[in-house]
Amino acid sequence: MENLGKDIKELVAKVIKKKTDELDPGADIFKDYGVDSLLGVEILANIDKKYGLDVPETSVREIRTINDIIRLTSRLLADRGKQ
Amino acid sequence: MTDNATSAYWRKYLKIDEPVDEGYLRQFHSRLEILRPIEFFLINILSKYYFRAEVYGVKNIPEPPYIIAPNHCSAMDQPLVAWAIGAKRRKDLYTLATKFFFDNAFVRLVMKSGANIVRIDTVSDYIPAMQSACKILKLGRSVYINPEGTRSEDGDLLPFRTGVGVVAVENGVPIIPVYIDGTHKALPPGAPFPKPYKVKVYFDKPIKINEYIEKKKIKAAYDVYKEVTDELYRRIIALKNMRKN
Repeated sequence: MENLGKDIKELVAKVIKKKTDELDPGADIFKDYGVDSLLGVEILANIDKKYGLDVPETSVREIRTINDIIRLTSRLLADRGKQ
Repeated sequence: MTDNATSAYWRKYLKIDEPVDEGYLRQFHSRLEILRPIEFFLINILSKYYFRAEVYGVKNIPEPPYIIAPNHCSAMDQPLVAWAIGAKRRKDLYTLATKFFFDNAFVRLVMKSGANIVRIDTVSDYIPAMQSACKILKLGRSVYINPEGTRSEDGDLLPFRTGVGVVAVENGVPIIPVYIDGTHKALPPGAPFPKPYKVKVYFDKPIKINEYIEKKKIKAAYDVYKEVTDELYRRIIALKNMRKN
C-alpha cells in the first residue's frame, strides 16, 4: 500500500506537471492544484494503463484527493485479484 | 507517458468505437422544427437589416463532419452563426447547449425550433456532452461547441476547455474557429431586447487535425488535446485582432 501510494503520487505529479514533494495526498487536486475535470480523466487513463486496470468511466466523480485515487486503485487491484 | 495509451482510454471513456445508429439523432430533434423556415426568414431579415450583419470566410467550412467553435458572449450567437452558414449546413449541425438556453421560455422556443439541440451540463457532468458530440460526428454530422463552456459576461474570451480538443482529435475532425463580433453590444447577458448594433461573423480556415493525430505518437495525449485547444484560442484571438472595421 505504501509503494502504491508513492507510485500514484508520482503518477499524479507527472500528469499534472508538479513535483511530488509539492503534493499533499489529502489536498483537493481540483481546487488546490488547478486540475480540471479532463485532467482528472487523464490521471485515470494513466492508472488504467500503468496497472492494466479497467477503470470505470464514473470513477472521476469519486476522486478529489490523491488518497482517493490510491483507494480507488487499491480497490480495483483487489477486485482484479479476486477474479 | 509518451505513447497514446491514454488516448485509448479516452476512446473507451467516450465510447467512440461503439457503433451508433442513425436513430440516435432523433432525440435532438423537436416537433418545433416545423417553425424553422419561418424562424430563419425572420432571423434573415433581422440579421441583414437590423444588425447589418456581415459574414466572412464561410467558404472555409469544409464538408461535414466538423466542429464549429465560436466565442460566446450573447444569446444571439448560435442563431447568428446558424444563419450565416446557410440552410444546407444548418440542417446537419447539432448544437451543444447549456441549461441556460432552457431557463427562458422564449429562448427555449427559438433554440428548439431553430437548431438541433444537444442539452448539456457543463458544470457537473461534461462527459455525456462529449459522448454525444462524438456519436454525432461519427454519424457524419457536425457539432457546434462553445469552447469557453459558458457565456462571457463582459465579452472577453474566457479560457477554453480542453474537451473540444479531445473530441476533435479522437474523432479526426477539423475545428473551424469562429469569431463573432458585436453581439455582446447588441444583446448582452441580461438585456431584454437586442439593440441595432452591427454584428460580424468570421469563419477561419479549419484547424487540420491530422498533424495532431501524428503528434499523439510521440506526446502524451492530453498534451496534444491541449495544443489543439490552445491553437483554437490563438486563432480566435487572431480573428478578433484582424477584424474589419
